[in-house]
Amino acid sequence: MLPNAIINYLQQAAKEARTEMPDRNTSLFEAGLLDSFSLVEFVTLLENELGIRVSDADLRPETFATIAKIEGYIAQAGVVV
Amino acid sequence: MALPERIVTNAELAPILGVTPDWIEANSGIRTRRWVCANQSASDLAAAAVDDALLQSDCTAAQIDYLIGGTLSPDYQIPGIAPLVQRKLNGCRQIPALDLRVGCATILYSLQIARALIASQAAQNIVCFGAEAQSKGLDLHPRSAALSMLFGDGAGALLVSQQPANNFSLRVQDVLLATDGNFAEDLCLHAPGTANGARWMDAEQRLDGWHLPVMNGRTVILQAVRKLTEVTLEILARNHLSLEQIDLIVPHQANRNLLDALGKKLSLPENRIFTNLDRYGNTSGASAFIALCEAQRQQRIELNSHILLLAFGAGFTWGAALLTAR
Repeated sequence: MLPNAIINYLQQAAKEARTEMPDRNTSLFEAGLLDSFSLVEFVTLLENELGIRVSDADLRPETFATIAKIEGYIAQAGVVV
Repeated sequence: MALPERIVTNAELAPILGVTPDWIEANSGIRTRRWVCANQSASDLAAAAVDDALLQSDCTAAQIDYLIGGTLSPDYQIPGIAPLVQRKLNGCRQIPALDLRVGCATILYSLQIARALIASQAAQNIVCFGAEAQSKGLDLHPRSAALSMLFGDGAGALLVSQQPANNFSLRVQDVLLATDGNFAEDLCLHAPGTANGARWMDAEQRLDGWHLPVMNGRTVILQAVRKLTEVTLEILARNHLSLEQIDLIVPHQANRNLLDALGKKLSLPENRIFTNLDRYGNTSGASAFIALCEAQRQQRIELNSHILLLAFGAGFTWGAALLTAR
């Protein structure tokens, strides 16, 4: 489960990309919701919402490539949403 | 600084890369870049940039007692570029000439080493330079459009001396450097190299383009924005300065969107980040040298102003240098 602010961000990105919200395992990059530069903004939002700092090792696009991967990362980070 | 004469527009490059000129500008902020001609090398540009720096500084090549330089596009695999520049400088003595392999952070590493050499009295007049002729090594094919659209050629140089120049000089207040080798392959040119198996590049690897640069752009941008933000705040804190006291940030000219993201992260207005990559593209190890030279020539650097140099590149290596105009 993603925090509401994250869901809202992705829904807005989907709207701007004129597409539907992708399923959990579809690439957010291929779906057009994230790109190299919006990813910076997305990670900042995620860190602020969850009160965490994504480690340097995890700061890679693969970590945030799909909704399932983001959920997995949040769970692994021990954050209860 | 020294720039090749040939101007390559997006309109010229776009069809080769299978994209549109507008796509290049939207994804990089670059409109034109300079490319060398066939008989021009990185050391030619470097020597011209050093001559220019010496002219500006009222110093002669004979007075230099140390050369420090870097390139990602060397004339040869061996020797490095610095000995070739030493050879090309008219009147330069048989001084130490040191190559750095720190990519876009060359300006920062060379400044820190130059400071240390002066402090230890090993040298008095040190020339630092960065030079690139990387257009010769680009993969000019649609598969590499996102990378090959970025790069330009050029060179820049600085004279670092114990004594300030009469007309204009910058005091190097502090330099902060860092490396994270875990990302070495995210911005890489694999071959020739001894990590490639039995030979440093076999025929199959050559066909597969191991001699061409590769970049995981999303990782580079994520890491660069974070690291450059952090290093900015750290160098300011340890020099008891606030961001408001920095008059101009002169960053490595990587990509306009990256610089915009950095400005947003630091809440900095656009006019406090110097850019020239719309005209020159990303000139890698030369870019911050060229940007600093241009900032000074455009009179963007006033007396007593604080300047922050920022760079991030292959390795990953990154850092900041705090300068004060005097």
